[in-house]
Amino acid sequence: MPHSFGYRARTRDMFKRGFKEKGPIKMSTYLTPYKVGDIVDIKANAAEQKGMPHKYYHGKTGIVYNITPRGVGVICNKVVGNRYLEKRVNLRIEHVKHSKCRQEFLDRVKRNAALKAEAKEKGERIVLKREPAQPRQAHHVTAEGLPQTIVPVAYETTI
Amino acid sequence: KTPLDTPIESRAYSSRYQVKCRHRRESETDYHARKRLVSQAKNKYNAPKYRLAVRFTNKNIIVQIAYARLQGDFILCAAQSRELPKYGIEHGLTNWTAAYATGLLCARRALTKLGLVDKYEGTVEPDGEMTLVEALDDEDAPRPFKCYLDAGLKRTSTGSRIFGAMKGASDGGLFIPHSEKRFPGFDVESKTLDAEVLKKYIFGGHVAEDMKSLQEEDDERFKKQAAIRGNPTFEPSEKEKDCREESLKYKTHGLTCEQRAVRVPGRLEIPP
Repeated sequence: MPHSFGYRARTRDMFKRGFKEKGPIKMSTYLTPYKVGDIVDIKANAAEQKGMPHKYYHGKTGIVYNITPRGVGVICNKVVGNRYLEKRVNLRIEHVKHSKCRQEFLDRVKRNAALKAEAKEKGERIVLKREPAQPRQAHHVTAEGLPQTIVPVAYETTI
Repeated sequence: KTPLDTPIESRAYSSRYQVKCRHRRESETDYHARKRLVSQAKNKYNAPKYRLAVRFTNKNIIVQIAYARLQGDFILCAAQSRELPKYGIEHGLTNWTAAYATGLLCARRALTKLGLVDKYEGTVEPDGEMTLVEALDDEDAPRPFKCYLDAGLKRTSTGSRIFGAMKGASDGGLFIPHSEKRFPGFDVESKTLDAEVLKKYIFGGHVAEDMKSLQEEDDERFKKQAAIRGNPTFEPSEKEKDCREESLKYKTHGLTCEQRAVRVPGRLEIPP
């Protein structure tokens, strides 16, 4: 059982800035716009001590529900006992960044819309569903010389 | 090995050294100030936050109205004191008066671009009084264009030319929140601004006092300001020779891939 339970207990490594990433926070952190409904990753930035998330939320992803002059409110789901609780975390922008998980989906939506329009023009039928990787097709394999048959070596006892 | 032999920049030093970002290395940007000047309140989303950036070179004053975006800063409009000869100010292009005129020019250009030129005249006859541009009475009327002074790396001491440019822009009709504390003519003890002194600076009176032969220019400077208000549009000057062609003659091209490959073995040697 640990001796201390402070708010930032056991965060020595978690909240460390990266190697050669110390110093002032880059400007793009302050220039990225956030809108309500955006999906964001929470990552504490120890260079800004205000509006930091509790260590539990470091690495969690949530949805923005509120925007204030210097920060955002994020909704995260936390497992408490046998259920998820919806938690609302108020964070400064420095500790938040847009999640790429959403971007992949949005790109696909755009691509599908374009493909659908194209197919409609040509009058073709198009399948837009993603397919998991299929087993390999039947194919010929060439090798130099005859293949070598490998057989397990007979067990030898050496007493 | 003596202390003289051990290199200060050993391999360990180089591999662990964290460079500051480029504009800091080149002493071009004060990021402490920039962060505060440029970041917009998140609940104002993408609304641009304009700043009046005033920079001085040895022979030129550059005044730009800029706003920041992820791709880089965008410039709404700019003015340089090199353009002042077109308006009749031929000399002293980096003095207080030129700063005032450049700020004025930038402001009028910006307002022309935004269509606010007639609504916000600013102070047409500068009298050195401290005035902030006020919104028009009509509720539907557009509010004044607001921007914040960006002094860059210059020291903001009383009487500095940065504030000359700011006063020019403010008198030109832009709303730049400021106080009278840093204008020439501000008395530290009594905490009041002597408008006469400021007015003298606006018209180059401080220069005139030094050089008696310039006394007659007082009137002319006023005419020059009227010229700026008359036509602040930017017209590129006619060039006698094609500058681009000339500079291409002297251009040194970078190394090609093959030439660089020749150098690689030498650079792979690990320094002691």
